[in-house]
Amino acid sequence: MMNSNPSTPMNAHAPSSSSGGAGSPDSNAPRRNSKRPKYSRFTQQELPACKPILTPKWVISAFMLVTIVFIPIGLTSLLASRDVVEIIDRYDNACVQGSKSQKVQHIQSQTTNKTCVRSLTVTKRMKQPIYVYYQLDNFYQNHRRYVKSRSDNQLRNLGDENDTSSCKPENDANGMSIVPCGLVAWSLFNDTYSFSTSNNSQLAINKRHISWKSDRDEKFGSDVFPKNFQNSSFIGGGRLNESLPLNEQEDLIVWMRTAALPTFRKLYGKIEVDIEAGETINVVLENRYNTYSFSGKKKLVLSTTSWLGGKNNFIGIAYLAVGGLCFLLATTFTIIYLVKPRHLGDPNYLSWNRNPGGH
Amino acid sequence: MTGWRRSSGSRQSGDSASAGAPLAVDRSVSSSTIRLGRVQPQAPGHRTVFCNDREANYLAKYKGNGVSTTKYNVATFLPKGLYEQFRRVANLYFLTISCLSFTPVSPVSPITNVIPLSLVLFVSLVKEAFEDWKRLQNDMTINNSSVDVLQEQRWESIPWKKLQVGDIVRVKQDGFFPADLLLLASTNPDGVCYTETANLDGETNLKIRKALEKTWDYVAPEKASEFKGEIHCEQPNNSLYTFTGNLMLQKQTIPIGPNQILLRGCSLRNTQYIVGAVIFTGHETKVMMNAMNVPSKRSTLERKLDKVIATLFGVLLSMCLIGAIGSAVFVNKKYHYLELWINGDSQQFNPNNRFVVFVLSIFTLITLYSPIIPISLYVSIEMIKFIQSTKFINNDLRMYHSETNTPALARTSNLNEELGQVEYIFSDKTGTLTRNLMEFFKCSIDGEMYGTGVTEIEMGAAKRNGVNIKEKTSSSTAREKGFNFDDARLMHGAWRNEPNPDMCKEFFRCLAICHTVLPEGEESPEKLRYQAASPDEAALVTAAKNFGFFFYRRTPTMVYVRESHVEKMGKVQDVTYEILNVLEFNSTRKRQSVVCRYGDGRLVLYCKGADNVIYERLTSGNDELKKISREQLEQYGEAGLRTLCLAYRDLNPETYESWNEKFIQAKSSLRDRERKLDEVAELIEKDLTLIGCTAIEDKLQEGVPSSIEILSRAGIKIWVLTGDKLETAINIAYACKLINNDMKQFVISSETDAIREVESRDDQVEIAQFIRETVKNELQKCHEEAQSIIHGSTGQKLSLLIDGKCLMYALDPNLRSTLLSLSLSCSSVVCCRVSPLQKAQVTRLVRKGANKITLSIGDGANDVGMIQAAHVGVGISGMEGMQAVMASDFAIAQFRFLTDLLLVHGRWSYLRLCKVVSYFFYKNLTFTLTQFWYNFQTGYSGQRFYDDWFQSLYNVFFTALPVIILGLLDKDVSASLSKKYPQLYKKGIENAFFNWKVVGTLACFSVYQSVIVYNFAIASSTTGLASAGKILGLWDISTAAFTCLVITVNLRLLMMCNTVTRWHSISVIGSILGWFLFIFIYSLVFVNKDLFFRIYISWSYKIGDVFQGTYFTIYVLMSTAYFYLMAILVPIVALLGDFLYQGAQRWFYPHDYQIVQEIHRHEPEAIGAGLLEVGSQLTPEEERRYAFALLPRERSKHTGFAFDSPGYESFFATQQGVTAPQKPWDVIRRASMRHKTKSPRHSQQ
Repeated sequence: MMNSNPSTPMNAHAPSSSSGGAGSPDSNAPRRNSKRPKYSRFTQQELPACKPILTPKWVISAFMLVTIVFIPIGLTSLLASRDVVEIIDRYDNACVQGSKSQKVQHIQSQTTNKTCVRSLTVTKRMKQPIYVYYQLDNFYQNHRRYVKSRSDNQLRNLGDENDTSSCKPENDANGMSIVPCGLVAWSLFNDTYSFSTSNNSQLAINKRHISWKSDRDEKFGSDVFPKNFQNSSFIGGGRLNESLPLNEQEDLIVWMRTAALPTFRKLYGKIEVDIEAGETINVVLENRYNTYSFSGKKKLVLSTTSWLGGKNNFIGIAYLAVGGLCFLLATTFTIIYLVKPRHLGDPNYLSWNRNPGGH
Repeated sequence: MTGWRRSSGSRQSGDSASAGAPLAVDRSVSSSTIRLGRVQPQAPGHRTVFCNDREANYLAKYKGNGVSTTKYNVATFLPKGLYEQFRRVANLYFLTISCLSFTPVSPVSPITNVIPLSLVLFVSLVKEAFEDWKRLQNDMTINNSSVDVLQEQRWESIPWKKLQVGDIVRVKQDGFFPADLLLLASTNPDGVCYTETANLDGETNLKIRKALEKTWDYVAPEKASEFKGEIHCEQPNNSLYTFTGNLMLQKQTIPIGPNQILLRGCSLRNTQYIVGAVIFTGHETKVMMNAMNVPSKRSTLERKLDKVIATLFGVLLSMCLIGAIGSAVFVNKKYHYLELWINGDSQQFNPNNRFVVFVLSIFTLITLYSPIIPISLYVSIEMIKFIQSTKFINNDLRMYHSETNTPALARTSNLNEELGQVEYIFSDKTGTLTRNLMEFFKCSIDGEMYGTGVTEIEMGAAKRNGVNIKEKTSSSTAREKGFNFDDARLMHGAWRNEPNPDMCKEFFRCLAICHTVLPEGEESPEKLRYQAASPDEAALVTAAKNFGFFFYRRTPTMVYVRESHVEKMGKVQDVTYEILNVLEFNSTRKRQSVVCRYGDGRLVLYCKGADNVIYERLTSGNDELKKISREQLEQYGEAGLRTLCLAYRDLNPETYESWNEKFIQAKSSLRDRERKLDEVAELIEKDLTLIGCTAIEDKLQEGVPSSIEILSRAGIKIWVLTGDKLETAINIAYACKLINNDMKQFVISSETDAIREVESRDDQVEIAQFIRETVKNELQKCHEEAQSIIHGSTGQKLSLLIDGKCLMYALDPNLRSTLLSLSLSCSSVVCCRVSPLQKAQVTRLVRKGANKITLSIGDGANDVGMIQAAHVGVGISGMEGMQAVMASDFAIAQFRFLTDLLLVHGRWSYLRLCKVVSYFFYKNLTFTLTQFWYNFQTGYSGQRFYDDWFQSLYNVFFTALPVIILGLLDKDVSASLSKKYPQLYKKGIENAFFNWKVVGTLACFSVYQSVIVYNFAIASSTTGLASAGKILGLWDISTAAFTCLVITVNLRLLMMCNTVTRWHSISVIGSILGWFLFIFIYSLVFVNKDLFFRIYISWSYKIGDVFQGTYFTIYVLMSTAYFYLMAILVPIVALLGDFLYQGAQRWFYPHDYQIVQEIHRHEPEAIGAGLLEVGSQLTPEEERRYAFALLPRERSKHTGFAFDSPGYESFFATQQGVTAPQKPWDVIRRASMRHKTKSPRHSQQ
């Protein structure tokens, strides 16, 4: 690719004017066109640069710096996480007894009474707002078939009602398009909870604005109404109020923000009163959702939040651990440095000085 | 340029297709020739050209004179260019993946793969188009340059491309010949013209072309239009120096040879104008037929790269296998909410057919994990190398040779990093190690030695032996270039008093007559310059001039010599010699002869040539002289001088006439003319009388010994392959510090008494057998000895000297391995008396046999084979010819620049490319592994972790630029330190920076980092993260993870850098910010409800599932504290491992370059270090910039005291008669005063 055209008459070669042999060279002749490259720092590869050298001092200081920064952050995060009160109650097995097939039969039957009562004890004062979550285990909301089985266009635009080709296998029922279509909507979680305190006063659950605002405003249309939903022979989960537009069906919106892992929580609602320590909360729940056929777990979670969110020790522990590790490394390196210092830039370390004569 | 060859192939097929027409013409012509009863051209496939008759030539359908060197045209560009691109396996792989991603098995939408692939293809195609455009423009300028053509008795100017075969053209002085022409007439007397062939072979000396006597008159247009000749000649071919044909003119057949042919690409010199007939046009001209491509070479690193990529592909497959097995198991669990039993259009998750699930999952996962093979790797490497070669190597001032005005030239950009791994250098001697500047130094006439000079080599030898020779101050006689001879016995006619003045006279005449030199310029001894094919010849003629035999004019038949002191002292007379025949020099003949007739009718053959050739042809008798002369020759050879023997033979007219007939016959034969001429020459070049011999000094190139020393300290072994004699070669090797007395020398020579004795018996079979046995024994003996020395503890270095004849037998398959292992244990090897073929063979032996990286450096046509055989070919440009340069990969002006090319550019390129390649693997492996870990959590369904756009832009946008900057600017130690510590180069020879260990370590860190990034990001998914208690979904997590990943891999790049320039920081920070910018915009795109977006959505809907998951994610994320804590934590934890590794490695097992960095850590880099050598040539502007560069970086400690101003110091110093060294700021002051612009820095002072 760099070959010059050999027939080019114009690219006369450099010393073309010079004569070979005994003729005197043209060193004194005026240079017609000097081919001397222009000086620039880039082409001569002399750009100004800093040359960091990872000396032991640098290594130790870097570790110390990480220690100094990370440990306080870790402590603060842990403290924040400790302030969070979290009550978790697994109720799937508690509400239905029996073998797996019995459980499945129970949950699939239209007639059985699925109401179940649980009581939770509050060990520590919970300040409002108390968030109510349901947690599912072994539920693959992130399975590829599941994730893509939805139609964002249909959810958003009235005109795209029949835009259901991506929703297979839940795209239409009885020849009509389902709104909202797809496996995600179809398998909508439909257990319900109501809470009362020990003195039998109802705890109101606020289910407004439990979804991301961006989802409500943009992803779900205000003029799109559920249609033909759960009308097929096999019912996957919850039903929807057909008189409400999709952007007000917040349970659906929350459910449809698919989770990353097979174990996930979703927000159910908020309790906007403080609950004192020692109180017992009675939960009346409709245990309708079938997790028994695939051995999934269902849990009810009540949690307060801190500035860092819910109860999450991970980040605090991680920061503390890294900080601690760095401190350990810094100490180790310091000891090694003191015990067996390496003289910086000692030519004796050069390989050809270490074993002379060898290659 | 492979495309060119293909197109030439099609052209040939076109020829054969149209072969019918010329055949028809042939038949009619041959019938007419039979009728005329003349000699017929023997070659069957010849061409007939009717001069000045376009209609007649029209039948033959010759090609036009337009040339096209472009690969593509508008129509073929896309298909052909794409075809070229998809011949690369990597591109084909990505094409397959792209196709796969259109099928339903794909978890990603096609954009993921199509966008990077199209970008890569786009960049490559733009580059191709740009290069082709330049070629097209070049072609257009050539095709449209004008030439005078004879039309209706007038010269009409037409563009080159309109020229046709048979046209009569006129070319003026300094003009280029537009096609291959038959020279008809010239304005010079005797139909002579001079041509310069620099474009063809780079030889700058002028060559004579002589028109046939019959056509001398066709100068004027009126006359020329009467010219109607037929040319029968060979078909177009690529042999530059041969031509056979006949001119049929006025019913006569006149043979035409290369002497009458003017080749396209050459230019006319010293001639007002010439008239010629066009024979070959356009692509059929010899120069175009020669435009062959150097076979493209691939670097070792790239071949290693292929292996790593194959390994990665293996990793990819095993990852897919794991996932596919997992998927097949998972579907069996029948999660009801997945409705797996409803299969719809795809069988992918059908639990009843798990084998199909398994197979389809493999395809799914291949598509998902395809980025494990970095798509932009090749295009990035290509870009980096291209800039490295065009900007750095071609522009390096340290490799610019100002005497010949030649900068270094990288003719290919494929091999930059190969330069950093060279272990063996094969060097030519003449012109490469030595200057090819020949000076007449000594001579011997009739057994008497003349010349008092002492060569550098002799002085070196004397020093080695402890003798101290005082260098004689050169005598007062002004020495001329090419003549370094000092002996009063021969000068100014003093030779008349020598014992054999007649022999002296023959000697000088032989020098003055027997040559092919052209005098140029005014005919006075001072001003006349000689144009010679070889510098030896010029030196000899110059010598003759100095001895008083001044050759000043040449006509095709005459040589004019101004002879002094011949008849009596002080008498000067002009003598003419008629040159009857010239038997030219070639490499098989190794001699040159001239038959000349003295004014008094004496017929003499003068001959000069190699000693062995001449000795074979000497007349018997006078053995004493022969013996003395041979001794003297050996003495000269030992002193490193080049020798030639001179001889003459008196001819009687009868012998000559009968021989001359044969000669003319041979000369006009169309087939095998060369061989026949050689045979005829043998008939007359015998019974010679020895006159004497000449010794010419071949000066060493500047800086050769020190360069060789540096290179050998760098662990490079240097072999010298030369055509010279053993003694010369050994001496040059000594002078170059290749060999010293501490070394154990193994000499395998055919010049032993035993071999001579066998040779004298003249039985070829016996000779061959004997030499083979000898060589075998010698080799085995040496090999054993070498082994014992190596295993011993003396650490003695070894060297091997072998001559071409022995080499021929040693290269025999049986002995080859012994030769190889012996020579590999030697630190230097000298092969002498080797042919160009043997040079290539030796190179190939080491390249293939030892699997080491080889470099060949040479300057002449005889080095072409070896240059092409080696991994890297380097040509010396600016001296002898261009053939070596044309075949080479790099061209430099001086041998000493090899140190810069290898130790600086090569080493840096190697380091950089290693880093670039490893970084590419690292970043793509890390990226893919996060996807891989995620797959375990998704029921092995192949759900993608990242958005399609993240994945497609990861390679081409978020991580592309910093690595290119690294590949361009990273350097471990500065250029001067690279040469100060040549041992640093050894790491490249060992390939220490890109081997399986490095790749393995890298893979470990990749796994570690991907685990950290993935798990830390995932850990945040379980609980609510904001104070509003909302939970993050899949796409929020993936955006967070991707953010951490982009930050991590970009910071990791900074950790790999030895130097951090502004550009590093800009590109790294820019890449991270680029990601944020992208995601800020991308997560808003959904809001846009306008028409364009609707179209986009519906389009993307058609090609795959529309994806809107990432809408608003970054804004949600950035409203949480958690995100920031993660963005700090993850990169630090991920890079902690690397940091620890690097810190510990540097501490406990430091690399050499790291030690060197530490030794010189406080020194500012010597900026413009190389400039000091060329300092005198700085332009004022550069001088100023240079001075700025030297300024101290800190703020000046100027106190305001009047005389404290820096300039005064030197001012006062000069007043007191002390010259203070000039300070940089003085230069600045002057420069800024001159430019009247006040620089900010200056005003600060």
